Amino acid sequence: MFAWRKLGKVFTPQEVEGRCWLKEFAQAPATLVFNDFVRVYFSCRPSADENGQYVSYSAFVDLDRADLYKVRSVAERPILNLGGLGEFDEFGTYPVSVIRDGDEVRAYYGGWTRCESVPFNVAIGCATSQDGGMTFAKLGNGPILSYSPNEPYVLSGPKIRRFNKVWYLWYIAGRKWKVVAGRAEPVYKIRMATSPDGIQWTKINRDLIESRVEADEAQASPDVFEANGKYHMFFCYRYSADYRGRANGYRIGYASSINLIEWVRDDSKAGIEVSEEGWDAEMISYPHVFELDSKTYLAYLGDQVGRYGFGLAILEGKLD
Amino acid sequence: MKWQKAGKIFDPTDHALANNCKEFAQSPQALVFGDFVRIYFSTRALDKSNGKYLSHIAFVDMQKNLRDIIRVSNKTVIPLGALGCFDEHGIFPMNVVRHRDAVFGYTCGWNRRISVPVDTAIGLAISHDDGLTFQRIDAGPVLAASLREPYLIGDGFVKIIGDTFHMWYIFGTGWKRYASDVQPERTYKIGHAVSKDGVNWIKEEARQIISDRLGEEESQALPSVIAIGGFYHMFFCYRQSVDFRANKSRGYRIGHAYTDDLSHWIRDDEDLQLEGGSTGWDADMQCYPHAFECDGHIYLLYNGNEFGRFGFGLAALNL
Repeated sequence: MFAWRKLGKVFTPQEVEGRCWLKEFAQAPATLVFNDFVRVYFSCRPSADENGQYVSYSAFVDLDRADLYKVRSVAERPILNLGGLGEFDEFGTYPVSVIRDGDEVRAYYGGWTRCESVPFNVAIGCATSQDGGMTFAKLGNGPILSYSPNEPYVLSGPKIRRFNKVWYLWYIAGRKWKVVAGRAEPVYKIRMATSPDGIQWTKINRDLIESRVEADEAQASPDVFEANGKYHMFFCYRYSADYRGRANGYRIGYASSINLIEWVRDDSKAGIEVSEEGWDAEMISYPHVFELDSKTYLAYLGDQVGRYGFGLAILEGKLD
Repeated sequence: MKWQKAGKIFDPTDHALANNCKEFAQSPQALVFGDFVRIYFSTRALDKSNGKYLSHIAFVDMQKNLRDIIRVSNKTVIPLGALGCFDEHGIFPMNVVRHRDAVFGYTCGWNRRISVPVDTAIGLAISHDDGLTFQRIDAGPVLAASLREPYLIGDGFVKIIGDTFHMWYIFGTGWKRYASDVQPERTYKIGHAVSKDGVNWIKEEARQIISDRLGEEESQALPSVIAIGGFYHMFFCYRQSVDFRANKSRGYRIGHAYTDDLSHWIRDDEDLQLEGGSTGWDADMQCYPHAFECDGHIYLLYNGNEFGRFGFGLAALNL
């Protein structure tokens, strides 16, 4: 079992001033380590429009490498523009996952559109940065990973990794829209694709992680890293109904693999739970593990899926 | 290339159709049997929840004289997609192609959006009962939006040549709001993809294979390809992207192109002459062509005024 010691919340979007597009939410943290700071990408929202609907942007905050509680700066503008009329990312770019590729930084992100019978649909886009991850240009105005026969909708939550010169994309794909109290709620499962170049992707077309709490369990944020001769995945999961509160809300799960394809789920090893009180007492979600100066950290979201920011935990002892 | 018009051959309002469909018989597509021709088309029901249309697939079986009707399908040929799926709000059109013992149906599925009226993608459903009913291979599409084809993938037409499946289809190149108080209008062009199995496709990715005649805002739709005399001929329809519904001079016309290598197409709409009357059911609009061969004859099915609200007609090639 992992033993995480919580360090508390490190970033609160409501404390940022002068950015109309960043009023609340700091979702799906993803890190890029620099010499003296850690850039944490996240997704945020301006205030809701007159119909109560949100758009979503992605941005970053630079934390001091020597003191992760210290915010050095916050992005002056979103790293990506919203898509044009009718495009897959017209209403949101959330979440984002970044990776270095030579002098470039590449970002994979969920692009959101709005639908009539269900609230939204999502497909995965790609963009590159030539300025160290400050701004990104989209590779095209369509998605790089889109719908296919057994992934009919809601392709989201990309996590980009490279192992042994192969590009891996973990993501989620919608399985069904479940109508709960008159509202269509998405059920999604963790999936994977591989690529020689990060552009042309081959889906493996199956669920990686067995469902545990119910058949319609929704799984998200498949965050993979390698340590001690095997691969580890932290992810989050929730019930399909009434998941906006403590009882059925997001928790963090864990699985391991020796070949990146066959995964053994064992949530009892995850080593992090909701708190008794405070910012993460109802739910914990969107885990992201990163190493920094011989220490291992877990960034994650608390209540209301990161409406009030993200926090950190640090690994006590060793990865097994 | 001279065609003799045979007039309108099917009017949906003369028949009782499944799914409470009353009007429209759009995009006719033929499947030839030993002693009859089955013609699939898209017809429409009203969605009671909001007054919008839902497109359903139906068919009519005709004698090989293409004049006498044997029967009209009275059951659902393929149900619409489930909640949130790409084909939830309509299938229009469906292209049918025989493959081994089955009939492959390539559907253009419609789903409604908020900022624009609709998006589309291409699905595959297979029939093992000679085309009476079709079952999807799965809930999602086989051809969908991609990096340089951002939306509106549709109108797939498939032909198996040698051991390769070829698909001609359309992809969107722009949504544009021409005035503040009207819905946005779309522009689309004809593209090409290939496959070894009819399921996994490789697109040419945003290569427009048919040149524009009306300029950048020409919308091209419904490609249909047939081999005639050593060339492959493509029939399609084209229109202006705005003010095309009621303005006869900007509405759909049928275009034509040909190739001898399945890659470089030469457009020559002028070579296509539909001889016959210039009044009546197809006087204002001609669209959704489908060329097919039957017992040594080459026919063109197509829709007339109002996008086929009152049926489709036929022309025969003078060989």
